Amino acid sequence: MKEFMMIFVGAPYDDLSPQEIQERLGKWFAWHGKMEAAGIIKSSEALQPKVKRISGEDRVVADGPFVESKEVVGGFYVIRAESVEKVIEIAQDFPEYDIGGSVEIREVMTFDQ
Amino acid sequence: MIEDKLVDHLFRHQYGKMVAILTRIFGLSNLETIEDAVQDTFIVAMHKWRNILPENPEAWLTLAAKNRAIDLLRKIKAEQTRIGKIESGTISISFNELFLDHEIEDSQLRMIFTACHPSLHPKEQIAFALKTISGFNTKEIASALLLKEETIKKRLTRARKLVSQKNISFEIPKHGDLLRRLDRVLEVIYLTFNEGFHSNGKQLLIRKDLCGEAIRLIKIVLSKKDLRIGKVYALFALMCFHASRLDSRIGSAGEILDLKNQDRSKWYFPLIRIGNDAMIKAVEDGSFTSYHYEAAIAGEHIKAKTFDDTDWEKMLLWYENLDTLQPSPLGLLNKSIVLIQLNRLDAAKDILNTIESKDLEQRAYLYYATLSEYCKENKNIKDAIENLDIAISMVANKTEKAYLEQKKKNL
Repeated sequence: MKEFMMIFVGAPYDDLSPQEIQERLGKWFAWHGKMEAAGIIKSSEALQPKVKRISGEDRVVADGPFVESKEVVGGFYVIRAESVEKVIEIAQDFPEYDIGGSVEIREVMTFDQ
Repeated sequence: MIEDKLVDHLFRHQYGKMVAILTRIFGLSNLETIEDAVQDTFIVAMHKWRNILPENPEAWLTLAAKNRAIDLLRKIKAEQTRIGKIESGTISISFNELFLDHEIEDSQLRMIFTACHPSLHPKEQIAFALKTISGFNTKEIASALLLKEETIKKRLTRARKLVSQKNISFEIPKHGDLLRRLDRVLEVIYLTFNEGFHSNGKQLLIRKDLCGEAIRLIKIVLSKKDLRIGKVYALFALMCFHASRLDSRIGSAGEILDLKNQDRSKWYFPLIRIGNDAMIKAVEDGSFTSYHYEAAIAGEHIKAKTFDDTDWEKMLLWYENLDTLQPSPLGLLNKSIVLIQLNRLDAAKDILNTIESKDLEQRAYLYYATLSEYCKENKNIKDAIENLDIAISMVANKTEKAYLEQKKKNL
């Protein structure tokens, strides 16, 4: 079994109405429930849009976000799956494609001896 | 499951509640900031609740609003004392009390009266009420009222501006003012309901929500003892009777089913019972308004087990009363329809002759459809078809057009 990270990008919520927020929440809940029932979730977090970026020899601290809201990483899941194809299947239910959100899948590196 | 914990429209209703409470604390001049703040708490909730719902989501949101209010108070550097006590007329009540159910209701009622303030144009009143009390966004209001988003945006901007510039106080009017202003409140609720009820087609779902909202608003009005008077109950009954038939009006293929063809077993009886109870209270004080007669008419339809069982004589009486109280071309048209049912064709024709179809504005097609019905009953099929053709050429709504075309086929 391999591990994969699903990274959610984009989909600002500003224009959603209260009703749409509730409907969207329902979809998230259903998706999470499905993964949980399958016992594949290792971890999951949602992220604030504010960014601090430290860079350079001088460790300069800058305040973000540095990208447009449709490119901001909003959260992630780490799940266990047999293959990337399986993860693509799971990601079909990600609830935010309709408002411009996207999912990036990255396999977690394992270091076998 | 999520359905068990999140009641339908929880966020939408919570929006109205939170905006009302915060407006009571910060005043109408801060309405925009308040609405943004409430939206923020919802987005936070959305992130937080994705994986696990709180035990009591409603309480969670109310607490969030409270914390938000404290934040805002700090932010605008209000004096420490204001957090402790909010002036509310002659009685000051504590900050915490504002978040109790009955005070929330009171705040919402204040918002209803604000929305229906005479300095706002009636069209702005509906848009403003749907936004601030019912938690619809611009897009939803536009689709519910079949208008452009741009139009709604303008109305909302103007309404907000007026509300904050005219220094409208966030209060329920007192004494004589109360009953006078109540009439406008009832009208706005009535119009909101009608927008939802007399509509078909694509936006069906959102328009059904309009009916639900109108009923919720009148329940808030009824939460105040002084306002539990005949006409409020009558309007409540009217809306219950109509709403009980909402689902039976559209067939499986999205077509309109008229009263003749509706499956009466699909009418929603719990609402009918509530409507009946309201009707009893509506007549207690002995005054009769147009809402009373409209409710009586709607109730008469509900009472009939089949279309043929309809008591058209009674119906005629209600329409006559309604016409005396509030003469309108549409009322006359309805009266002629009843007369056709009673097979008193000459009397029906006499009335039809007095109606100028253009006075019915966008409902002028109903006039020609009725004229066609009259011709049909008179066995004059040629004229019946001719009038129906006029009606078909005038009607804008696709579903209604299809309905009329089906009628034509049946001739």
